[in-house]
Amino acid sequence: MESVNLSEYKEIVEAIKESGAKTQRYCFQCGLCDTTCPWNRVRDFSIRRIVRQASFGLAEIENEEIWRCTTCGKCPQRCPRGVNQIEVGVGLRRLATQYGVFPNPVKPIKTIAAGLVAQGNPFGEDRTKRANWTQEIDVPPFEEGIEYLYFPCCYPSYDKRLKRVAMATAKILSATETQFGVIGEGENCCGESIRKAGDEELFRRLAKENIKNFIDAGVKKIIATSPHCYHTFKNEYPEFRVNFEILHVTQYLFGLLEEGKLKIKGQYNRRVAYHDPCYLGRHNDIYEEPREVLKRIPGLTLLELPDFREDSLCCGGGGGRIWMETPKEERFSNLRLQQAVEVGAEVLVTACPYCITNFEDGRVVLNLEDKLQIKDITEIVEEVM
Amino acid sequence: MEGVSGEVGDFKVTLLKKARYIREDKCTGCTTCVEYCPVMVPDPFNQEIGKSKAVHIYFSQAIPLITYIDQSCLYLKEKKCGICETVCENDAIDFRQKDQLDQINVGAIILAPGFEPYDPRVVTEYKYGIFGNVVTSMDFERLLSSTGPYEGEIRRPSDQRHPHKIAWVQCVGSRRVTPGNNSYCSAVCCTYTQKQVILTKDHDSSAECTVFHNDIRSYGKDFERFYERAKNLSGIRFIRSYVTISREDPVTKNVFIRYATPNGVVEEDFDLVVLSVGLNPPKYSKELAQKLGIELEEHGFSKTEPFNLIQTSRPGVFVSGTFQGPTDIPESVFTASGAVSQTGQLLKHRKGKLATERVYPEEKEVAKEEPKVGVFVCHCGANIGRVVNVPEVVEYASKLPHVVHAQEQLFSCSTDSAKQITDVIKEKGLNRVIVAACTPRTHEPTFRDSLREAGLNQYFFEFANIREHCSWVHSMEKEEATKKAKDLVRMSWARAVRLEPLGEYELQVNKTALVVGGGVAGMTTALSLAKQGHEVYLVEREKELGGIVRRLHYTLEGLDVQGFLRDLIKEVYAHPLVHVITNARILNATGYVGNFVTRVQSDGFVKEIKHGATILATGATEYRPKEYLYGQDPRVMTNLELEERLAKGDESLKDLNTVVMIQCVGSRNEERNYCSRICCSQSIKNALKLKELRPDVDIYILFRDIRTYGFREDYYRLASDKGIRFIRYEPQSPPLVGVTDEGTLRVTVEDEILGNQLEIDTDLLSLAVAVVAPEGVEETALKFNATVGLDNFYKEAHVKLRPVDFGTDGVFVCGSAHYPKHIQEVINQAYGAAGRAMTLLSKETVTASGAVALVDQNACISCGACITVCNYGAISFEETPKGKKARVNPVLCKGDGLCTTKCPTGAVQLQHFKDGQIMAQLDAAKGETDILAELDRAVGE
Amino acid sequence: MAKVIELRQLHRLVTGKKYGDVMVLGGGISGIQASLDLANQGFKVYLVERAPSIGGHMAQLDKTFPTNECST
Repeated sequence: MESVNLSEYKEIVEAIKESGAKTQRYCFQCGLCDTTCPWNRVRDFSIRRIVRQASFGLAEIENEEIWRCTTCGKCPQRCPRGVNQIEVGVGLRRLATQYGVFPNPVKPIKTIAAGLVAQGNPFGEDRTKRANWTQEIDVPPFEEGIEYLYFPCCYPSYDKRLKRVAMATAKILSATETQFGVIGEGENCCGESIRKAGDEELFRRLAKENIKNFIDAGVKKIIATSPHCYHTFKNEYPEFRVNFEILHVTQYLFGLLEEGKLKIKGQYNRRVAYHDPCYLGRHNDIYEEPREVLKRIPGLTLLELPDFREDSLCCGGGGGRIWMETPKEERFSNLRLQQAVEVGAEVLVTACPYCITNFEDGRVVLNLEDKLQIKDITEIVEEVM
Repeated sequence: MEGVSGEVGDFKVTLLKKARYIREDKCTGCTTCVEYCPVMVPDPFNQEIGKSKAVHIYFSQAIPLITYIDQSCLYLKEKKCGICETVCENDAIDFRQKDQLDQINVGAIILAPGFEPYDPRVVTEYKYGIFGNVVTSMDFERLLSSTGPYEGEIRRPSDQRHPHKIAWVQCVGSRRVTPGNNSYCSAVCCTYTQKQVILTKDHDSSAECTVFHNDIRSYGKDFERFYERAKNLSGIRFIRSYVTISREDPVTKNVFIRYATPNGVVEEDFDLVVLSVGLNPPKYSKELAQKLGIELEEHGFSKTEPFNLIQTSRPGVFVSGTFQGPTDIPESVFTASGAVSQTGQLLKHRKGKLATERVYPEEKEVAKEEPKVGVFVCHCGANIGRVVNVPEVVEYASKLPHVVHAQEQLFSCSTDSAKQITDVIKEKGLNRVIVAACTPRTHEPTFRDSLREAGLNQYFFEFANIREHCSWVHSMEKEEATKKAKDLVRMSWARAVRLEPLGEYELQVNKTALVVGGGVAGMTTALSLAKQGHEVYLVEREKELGGIVRRLHYTLEGLDVQGFLRDLIKEVYAHPLVHVITNARILNATGYVGNFVTRVQSDGFVKEIKHGATILATGATEYRPKEYLYGQDPRVMTNLELEERLAKGDESLKDLNTVVMIQCVGSRNEERNYCSRICCSQSIKNALKLKELRPDVDIYILFRDIRTYGFREDYYRLASDKGIRFIRYEPQSPPLVGVTDEGTLRVTVEDEILGNQLEIDTDLLSLAVAVVAPEGVEETALKFNATVGLDNFYKEAHVKLRPVDFGTDGVFVCGSAHYPKHIQEVINQAYGAAGRAMTLLSKETVTASGAVALVDQNACISCGACITVCNYGAISFEETPKGKKARVNPVLCKGDGLCTTKCPTGAVQLQHFKDGQIMAQLDAAKGETDILAELDRAVGE
Repeated sequence: MAKVIELRQLHRLVTGKKYGDVMVLGGGISGIQASLDLANQGFKVYLVERAPSIGGHMAQLDKTFPTNECST
């Protein structure tokens, strides 16, 4: 056992606190966080140890471990002492970012950050092309007086696979005579994930620009495709003293169905398993609306996965992990796909661009292309309306 | 209870008496209606695991032992059925009964509404009601119980198989700040789990039991040894981890649990998972509080006075048991007695005015008559009747010599049947009565009472146990059991005809009490007794009153202890009925219940005190440590020494940068195998005080298990909130304390989670030292015929049910002399001891049993063997014209008969169990076959 | 259980008109002990219980720690 003299670590304890990691002090080492953490299904990882190290100033910020947490929210949801492990982890990442220490698998973050700075999206794609996904369909630009801003997130804006989700959503919105528009070029990444990856400064910059553009454009209500955007608009942007009315697309769809504005004409004769995205379910308590939407589709058989609702198994994409490298055998998304196959699902449906990205990758890796389709909930709705 | 109006001394309480649909005066509890009732409902008493009927008896030993009709009844729901009404021979079913409002007027109210077991369905994480083989600890109690759904066989819900590998999950609903859980520790679960583990091993010695926990809280008397006992059984694991109940095997229905170890997370499956659920406030506590006009504390339990947990926010309304906060059985018992004492303080003038003594008819002289024996054979519902052929036994008994009456009864103990016995005695002039039923433990007093009602000496009653000794153990061998029942009846008959009438001893009660020990416990007891009109002598060894509390200054909750103590001492001195003797030594003590004489010496005078009751409240003291450089380095001190410095406002404490506290110094080791209970809270209390003085001081508490049970858990979290750091050490690698070459005081300790050895350079080291019994406790015990346990704390008569009584009548115990305690607990128990003492002091006389030993002084050879063996000091030599002879003081004799076995000449005989009576009973065992002949044959083979 | 029997012995002592000295609310171990101690001192007690029988949770327990004695 390595011997350390605690008096030498007092300053680090303080630095960690200043970086925003505060609740580690509550930990009474029960280990519950480790037992609920998805990492321990694929490899050893102890968030308990990280929390305790943070509280004694013994954190190893140069180590990859502090970058593992996907911020899935399982451990803070159950921590008996009220430790917010996500906050602790983010605090440590801020320190690491401050000192510029990134272990190899985390290195892509640097490029991502550069892209976000230059173009407002993690891919470094041209800012002016942000609304290109609307080319094939008719989506009006947002103007003062339009009821909803549709905020598709960077992935549906640029990613080939996910553009289909943005388009499906826009089609549903049009068909239901929703007054909506998109901002396009003047829109930035919401900043949620880069914040979790420790770059607080960049998050604030992205958020402020977004807020300014939203206000200038006269935005009051926002419909978001990504639970991550939804989460940060709803729970984090208020730190800047703004309060937009935020709806996740599944909430909006549910409202449309309730009001009878959305009519399902077709049938969807498939066995469908629903995956709760962490940021929709655990972080924001939205479990019912997506299920209610799916239940109202004729022909659709809704299946539950083994870990569902509060216990949902993370896809592995949160907390900036979507940009980091994870060895194939350590990807939670692969476990999730296997679960879907085991319950006999033909379609794995969800409501988050990160989840879809990871699941589509996993489908290829696991050779499930013939067996299992990955869908966003809007894609199914659009197909049957 | 619907509402309370009025005020202390004159409360008007409105009660709603729920319709039972059974006429209580007619129902005999025969359960015929239950057999015929077609409606099966989940049995509420068996945690809904088993089934019961819409009409049923709540449980087999219910009081009253009569049925009630549940709302699931077809007749109540839709006016159908009514079969029970037809089959009841006693006309006891009454569907016209309505809920009735009733009003009673009382002077005071004692609240003992108990608790509600935590319902793990409130959150999904415990998977209760989701996975079939996850049960609560209350469910498991019923599974263990012989009166439970599987008659004492442990079976799991999914397939009724016997589970072999069982996991217990601790702190379910407790010690958690997450929604749906309680932040406090429920205080009883660690130990009841250990009990369940031990009982499980009794059922199946190869069972594998695993307990998942984060701290084992064995803080009560003898709990640590109990923990060791459970831990050391084979196949038992105690694993330090909260868990995730992750999944269910689709085929076996086994339950998977994920737990953390320092080397990673492990997933393991179990046949059955038991959730150790905590204690919630009673279900209706809010409603109750509103109706009673009392306040609740933040967790929903009763709000109480800071230094008197028995007093609610409303005068005249007292609280006992778990409504004070999570607590175990002994505390629920002594707080009940404590509430009684406080009620007595209020209502002493009313005592005896409403209640009336029972008057029995005069006893008839029958000893010289021919024996006329009556035999009553009980069916005990189906308990006996299902196995033993009762009519056959009656028939057999009626043919025995001297038997003039024999009959069967469904429940001999029911009020009706007991009265029938009285009537038959009078009618047929019986002078011996045998009831063949259960054990004397339960119903001997009932039937002795029937005899007294008929004017017969109660010692003419004889019990034959054909339930525990027969039907319960031979349920598969009905014929043999019937034969055995006859044998047992015949044996009882042989003894019964030889029984003699015995008188009981009436003793005057001296109304004065002696309280030994002038600490908070002694003073509280003394004052409570004085306030009920009794003279009290309060004797204290030291010059001043107060005991160890003189060294305490504040509580964990921040109460001012010295202020409280000053007021208490003032009140003691001001009360005219309390006589304080300080600097006192007990010279000797003699006498017996109601009539003690104790000689006390103080400052050159000797006072002889005559008293009816004695309360021992001799307190406890601090262990002087040899460990961790104590006494060698001035920076090392005990918790109390630190507290004194804090209280004095020692300025140097503000300069401390680092403080270390080490727990369990001198406790929980081989020498003192007990937990000192208060030290975890004490360290946290001091640490919080230091933080108040200087918020940036670094404090490390080195502990084995943090035992902040009950609401104290909130302070444990508060300490973490203030940045106090806790480091767990294992007893096999305790912290090392040394001084470096530079003179730095350095504590080194391993942290398993960090995987580091931590060096802490500290300015001050405070030791949480053991609480130990004071010197001379054994001597004091000896003087008062009290007993001390393994750890030199006084040993009560019964851990659960008589927690402040001694085996010796008239002597009581309270405070830290019984076991280390927090100050509020001491006060609770002190009132409890006063309450118990009052049950004696408020009587004019006490009765002592007639079944005591008697010496035939002619046969006594003065060997003294009986004197040595007597546990109660009941036998002594007395000078007789024939020299020294043994004499039994019947008042002190407990009738255990030990002396009769030691007496070489048979001079000592235990009345009611004389040799002749017992030999006759044994001879009768032989019955028709000659046992001796059988033995000869056996030896010959 | 012994406590319950003792209580029954006192039963006749405490019935009568609707005037009492003390009401004890709850017939678990604590309520039973309080009622017994009160009645033994000559107070008239009303013991009020919600369930069809007294005994409370302790009656549901199989055995009690740390002596593992029968609970009922």
